[in-house]
Amino acid sequence: MNRALQPFRSAWWYLKEISGENAYDRYLAIHGATHPDRLPLGRGEFYRQRQDEKYNNPGSRCP
Amino acid sequence: MGNRFGRYAVWIGVALVGALCWGVLALGRGETVNAGWLLFAALASFAIAYRFYSRFIANRVLGVDDNRATPGERLNNGQDFEPMDRRVLFGHHFAAIAGAGPLVGPVLAAQMGFLPGTLWIIVGVILAGAIQDMTILFFSMRRDGKSLGQMAREEIGPVGGAAALVAVLAIMIILLAVLALVVVNALADSPWGAFSIAMTLPIALLMGVYLRFLRPGRILEVSAIGVGLLLLAIIGGGWISESSYAEAWTFSGVTIAIAIIIYGFVASVLPVWVLLAPRDYLSTFMKIGTIVLLAIGIAIILPAMQMPRFTEFASAATGGPVAPVGPLFPFVFITIACGALSGFHSLIASGTTPKLIQKESQVRMIGYGAMLMESFVAVMALIAACVLDPGLYFAMNAPAALTGGTAESAASAVSGLGFSVSADTLNNTAANVGESSIISRTGGAPTLAVGMSEIFAAATAFLGGLQAFWYHFAIMFEALFILTTVDAGTRVGRFMLQDLIGNIYRPFANASWLPGNIIASALIVAAWGYFLVVGVTDPLGGINQLFPLFGIANQLLAAVALTVATTILLKMGKLKYIWVTLVPLVWDAVVTLTASWYKIFSSDPRIGFFQQRSEAIDAYNAGEIYTGAQTVEQTAQIITNATVDGVLSIVFALAIIIVIADAARVWVGLIWGRKEPDLQEASYEESQLDVDGSILEPVGAGTSSNRNE
Repeated sequence: MNRALQPFRSAWWYLKEISGENAYDRYLAIHGATHPDRLPLGRGEFYRQRQDEKYNNPGSRCP
Repeated sequence: MGNRFGRYAVWIGVALVGALCWGVLALGRGETVNAGWLLFAALASFAIAYRFYSRFIANRVLGVDDNRATPGERLNNGQDFEPMDRRVLFGHHFAAIAGAGPLVGPVLAAQMGFLPGTLWIIVGVILAGAIQDMTILFFSMRRDGKSLGQMAREEIGPVGGAAALVAVLAIMIILLAVLALVVVNALADSPWGAFSIAMTLPIALLMGVYLRFLRPGRILEVSAIGVGLLLLAIIGGGWISESSYAEAWTFSGVTIAIAIIIYGFVASVLPVWVLLAPRDYLSTFMKIGTIVLLAIGIAIILPAMQMPRFTEFASAATGGPVAPVGPLFPFVFITIACGALSGFHSLIASGTTPKLIQKESQVRMIGYGAMLMESFVAVMALIAACVLDPGLYFAMNAPAALTGGTAESAASAVSGLGFSVSADTLNNTAANVGESSIISRTGGAPTLAVGMSEIFAAATAFLGGLQAFWYHFAIMFEALFILTTVDAGTRVGRFMLQDLIGNIYRPFANASWLPGNIIASALIVAAWGYFLVVGVTDPLGGINQLFPLFGIANQLLAAVALTVATTILLKMGKLKYIWVTLVPLVWDAVVTLTASWYKIFSSDPRIGFFQQRSEAIDAYNAGEIYTGAQTVEQTAQIITNATVDGVLSIVFALAIIIVIADAARVWVGLIWGRKEPDLQEASYEESQLDVDGSILEPVGAGTSSNRNE
């Protein structure tokens, strides 16, 4: 049963990783480890900051 | 022992399959060749190249070291620096490099037959394109993610660096104009297309508000909603095109060009969350989804390719009728850039991706592997164009001056080219895809869409074909991510310009200073908008004038990247492996400079800008109307366009020569030992990560405590 679901679970994990949905959870983990003294950003604030950051430092993309 | 034998037996098998497929492609008899041979020839070649060549480069040439901490590990801040799971990073990198380029180029090059394009895509990616991506990714990673421009300045010198900067800005502007022109050609006089694309604006706005305020960070949720609405928009376009609103949604090329220019300006000035970010999600999902669908479609249908191996244009001194006009060498090699060798990738491989790598050895999978995948996309685009009847292909891609614009005149023009297609077939194909006409729909996108729709319709025959839906699905997918590139590219150009002007007038350097934002955006939009409008109104067909400039500019950037890579290899003391980057560099330089030579000096007015200019001037002075033009004003327009394009060709050619000459000076010094190799790598630090391929857990405190060197 569990094994049969594994491909779907992997696909779901991949989708969440690649779309950036998981980014906040990862941020929380890192933040907890490095700055336990400071309050982490809220989910909305984190995504807003991340989005602005991404497009204000444009890497590039291909045509 | 037996194990090792087994492993080699597999690779010998792969090599044999590949050789068989290549044999059938090159020598097989019969009228048509099945696309399956091409597919497997490509897959077998890629597999062997990845297993053996990329491994050799990683281990021997670059010397990847998994004990050395990557910038993602050392500088991990959970944002731009972060060791990312290699499969996720592969996806990001692939999505960033795979744009409209690999789809358009192979379609245009198919006029020479399917073999020249196929050979260049497959050989080019293995020996040049993937090498460029992988080496630049590695060198940028060793330098904490420095950009190509920075590396050019530090490793070669200020002259090379400045030429690189000029190349980047110029390519950006020409590229945006060409891509926008492709969209204009696909949407002009098409109420269905115009409506569906217009609907992406309210959809993006809705998604933007949802993602920013209602449900922040729920990207998958909002993307699912967006894709659903997008499909509705395509279906809605079909209704519009059959309703009495059809006329209201029918726009001329100039109107659509102006709309795109206004849109580009607004999207560049507005905050990203309003339009750009949501469209980015939509286009990424559509892009990956459509590529997967195309692969499945081709695998199910295994269509036969109607295009011959070589058309007679492959050996003609002036090439074929489809833009860009010119002989096979060098023009096929600048027409197909993305998919074989694309300088633009070096901008992505230096910058974002290197900061996210977990382990040095992964540059092989991400740099080389992702480029092979993009090349595979180009192969599929080539197949989609070649399954079309060649007569139909030429009726769609020859310029209006040749086809005359009607089905009857196009049919007779095509038979003049040595192919045949009936006027009925042309009318029926147009009706099947829900368009009023498909004659001279140049630019590659409509041809690809027709090819894709035939494959998809055959694969979904049990649903009743749906060819018109699939055609507009393909158009939507191409237009969507071309327009996303236009948004994003304008923005990138705007930042570069603000940075440049900021050196003279300080406030400009601040990206969020509104007047600076507006002025820089306007300048960039005006620059590509100029070329777009010129292209749309060009009496000779804008694609023919602009596409070679785009190809040359892109390959110029590749020359800069390969020059940087060669210089760094020399500084690393890898003289005996220098051919790895030097051979593709020499090839690229020869191709680009030969193409520039043709564009500047050719005495054929369809190829040489200055020949065209002087003939048009003679006609103008004599009070005559130049071939292709309808009026005296159009003759004057041809003179202006040929002058601008010709001068640009000279600038590009000079930039290549300057970069290579400046680097050669450095190389000579290094080889003769007069110059100390000043390698600019970040200092060595032992890696603490032992992850390799396992699903990445959030990285703990152990690695982040020592992140300040």
